[in-house]
Amino acid sequence: MNYTVINREMHVGDIYLTAVTSSSIFLIGDADIINLASAFDTPPESLIIGPFVPLTPKGS
Amino acid sequence: MKRLSIVQYINSKTFLLSSVFQIGDSKEINARSKVLAVQRQHELFFGSEGEELFPVFTKPIPKLDISAPDNIYRLHESPVLSVRSVYLIAASTAAVVHIGSTSTVNGETRIKHIRQLADQPSSPPPSVPQTAARITKEE
Repeated sequence: MNYTVINREMHVGDIYLTAVTSSSIFLIGDADIINLASAFDTPPESLIIGPFVPLTPKGS
Repeated sequence: MKRLSIVQYINSKTFLLSSVFQIGDSKEINARSKVLAVQRQHELFFGSEGEELFPVFTKPIPKLDISAPDNIYRLHESPVLSVRSVYLIAASTAAVVHIGSTSTVNGETRIKHIRQLADQPSSPPPSVPQTAARITKEE
């Protein structure tokens, strides 16, 4: 399969951004490959109500 | 061939935690961040926390292994990509703000977010941890 892209004129006015975070990218330009991944873990037990104890992951 | 990026005005306040503000072309971007965010109702920190890894920091993330197809034809009728202005407050945690072209971007972020609240809303913070209770993680 042949894939043709024609990029015509691109003129952008004003961009208002609050924040770019967590390995994200804000790109004004061309790129060949963009590969972004994210893992966010906040399971039910991540909200702990009780005595303050040190965090200890499994297996230790 | 890549286009020329023109930005007339940029106003940004803060770049923190390994963020990059890049003006000009680049070839490869590898952005990595790992965050252990612990919020406690009381001001309390046990020094050794975070030294052992949670699975979220080690588990492999399935990746789409794609390469640039060679039968793609890009025709840039206009060789310019222009932006009048950018107002950005902050970039954080290995974020990249890039004016110019690049080839490969690889980004990965892993966040573990834990909140700890006291049993009674008004109980004072214990000066030493009283129990040896453990918070265990599923695999």
